[in-house]
Amino acid sequence: MFGLIGHSTSFKDARLKAMELGYDHIAEGDLDVWCSAPPQLVEHVEVVSPSGKSIEGAYIDSCFVPEMLGRFKTARRKVLNAMELAQKKGINITALGGFTSIIFENFNLLQHQHVRNTTLQWERFTTGNTHTAWVISRQLEINAPVLGIDLKKAKVAVVGATGDIGSAVCRWLSSRTGVAELLLVARQEKPLLDLQNELGGGRILNLEDALVEADAVVWVASMPRTLQIDSSKLRNPCLMIDGGYPKNLDGKVSGKGVHVLKGGIVEFFRDIGWSMMEIAEMEKPQRQMFACFAEAMILEFEGCHTNFSWGRNNITLEKMEFIGEASVRHGFSTLNLKNLLQAAAA
Amino acid sequence: MPTLEAPDVAMIDYPDGSFGALPDFAADSYKDAYSRINAIVIEGEKEAYDNYMAIGTLIPEEAEQLEKLGKMELKHMKGFTACGKNLGVKADMPFAKKFFAPLHNNFQKALTNGNLTTCLLIQAILIEAFAISAYHVYIRVADPFAKKITEGVVKDEYLHLNYGQQWLKANLAKCKEELMKANKINLPLIRSMLDQVAEDASVLHMDKEELMEEFMIAYQDSLTEIGLENREIARMALAAVV
Repeated sequence: MFGLIGHSTSFKDARLKAMELGYDHIAEGDLDVWCSAPPQLVEHVEVVSPSGKSIEGAYIDSCFVPEMLGRFKTARRKVLNAMELAQKKGINITALGGFTSIIFENFNLLQHQHVRNTTLQWERFTTGNTHTAWVISRQLEINAPVLGIDLKKAKVAVVGATGDIGSAVCRWLSSRTGVAELLLVARQEKPLLDLQNELGGGRILNLEDALVEADAVVWVASMPRTLQIDSSKLRNPCLMIDGGYPKNLDGKVSGKGVHVLKGGIVEFFRDIGWSMMEIAEMEKPQRQMFACFAEAMILEFEGCHTNFSWGRNNITLEKMEFIGEASVRHGFSTLNLKNLLQAAAA
Repeated sequence: MPTLEAPDVAMIDYPDGSFGALPDFAADSYKDAYSRINAIVIEGEKEAYDNYMAIGTLIPEEAEQLEKLGKMELKHMKGFTACGKNLGVKADMPFAKKFFAPLHNNFQKALTNGNLTTCLLIQAILIEAFAISAYHVYIRVADPFAKKITEGVVKDEYLHLNYGQQWLKANLAKCKEELMKANKINLPLIRSMLDQVAEDASVLHMDKEELMEEFMIAYQDSLTEIGLENREIARMALAAVV
């Protein structure tokens, strides 16, 4: 069985969803009630691959909402309790979705392996970052040419280049796609220099300068609400892949020649009878999902019960290839620009 | 330079991910709060013994096993008494008696009326889940001596919770209605007990929010084990929050 740990995109949405599911007692509560609410296994689902292989899964809502980010202890508990529930339910491989993997990583939850009388078995969990990195890379490869961007002549900025997903995308782009030049953008100097060294190339730039030069921008970092982008200074055409969480780039940039694509999203080849992706604001919630969730499904299809994506900077090209091939084989495709023909004409 | 790597998440109080500093066990404020919390625990274990013995009168064929469970509670009581002594704290027993009075009265009423389901829900599910959750939170911030004692106690309490669960599970069809009714009356008492100790608990570095969540997890797990559906559990839990 595979598992997905998720959460609503806002407190307001979470209450609506809880009401719809019949969890009135939580729905009616204020944020303090939600802070005390235990995780809920809200849905079981069966997924059948193109080859006819059937797997079962469960969706666990952590009862975390982004409004809790300032409450460190609460956020930590939400993630650990949801993981404990997944393990108690005997789920083989569970993906940490949305903020939960960010919280796990940033709050160093590795040191909290004991939750009550349960010792968390890390091999039962994956961040799903390997699949996300592969999907984002493929989205760039597929969609850039449609806009007339020849990657062999293009400059591609990776914003958040030194993160787990960002560094994997950089590795893939520099060794598999022949991008003319990688522009590396991140907050800290030292990891940037290390990455540049590892890649044997790439130019380190600040965000403002990189945006002016880039034909394509891969965002794999959350953006502060205060960030402003001057669309008039962007190149035309410019492909922006919004691979961060939450996905809020389309509200920040618009204008002629700027194309924003939600990054790290995949579509399954047939409808899945679940209702939980609606809370992730997917356009086609019956088929579309975060690539990190899909990683848990793919690993379950493959019978690969390991913490495939774990820790930081462990994503190799070989692992990306493995998960990518399996992704295609089991019926997943990457989300592309809405209408490729329209985009080409623009 | 703006942006990058989840800046919102970086606003945390313990960047190293630790549980934070332990309280000063020798401080007067700590000892004062401990005198009431410790008394509650001692009184709780004593009443648990009485309650298991009383339940044995309703199911004589299980009286022997219930006596065994009850005696474990007496052992716990001694352990927690030692925890108070170790810190030089005198437990405020009159406070604890008053604290348990509403739940105690409901148990006695049910006992008199022979309402076994209600007795089991109060003692073997609600009180045990409350104890387990509070002990789990306490273990994280306890002094080394009390930590060791409490860790041993928690293991036993799961056995007690399990006893109640198994009986209610086996008899669910005939006891469900009474179970729901008893929950509606008694779960709010747990909530109000939690409210009453929240301030003292916070001196011991135990958050009310965390206590409530731990309790809801233990209670929810228990109701699942008994065989209730998620939505039924959700409806039952409503009594704790309104």
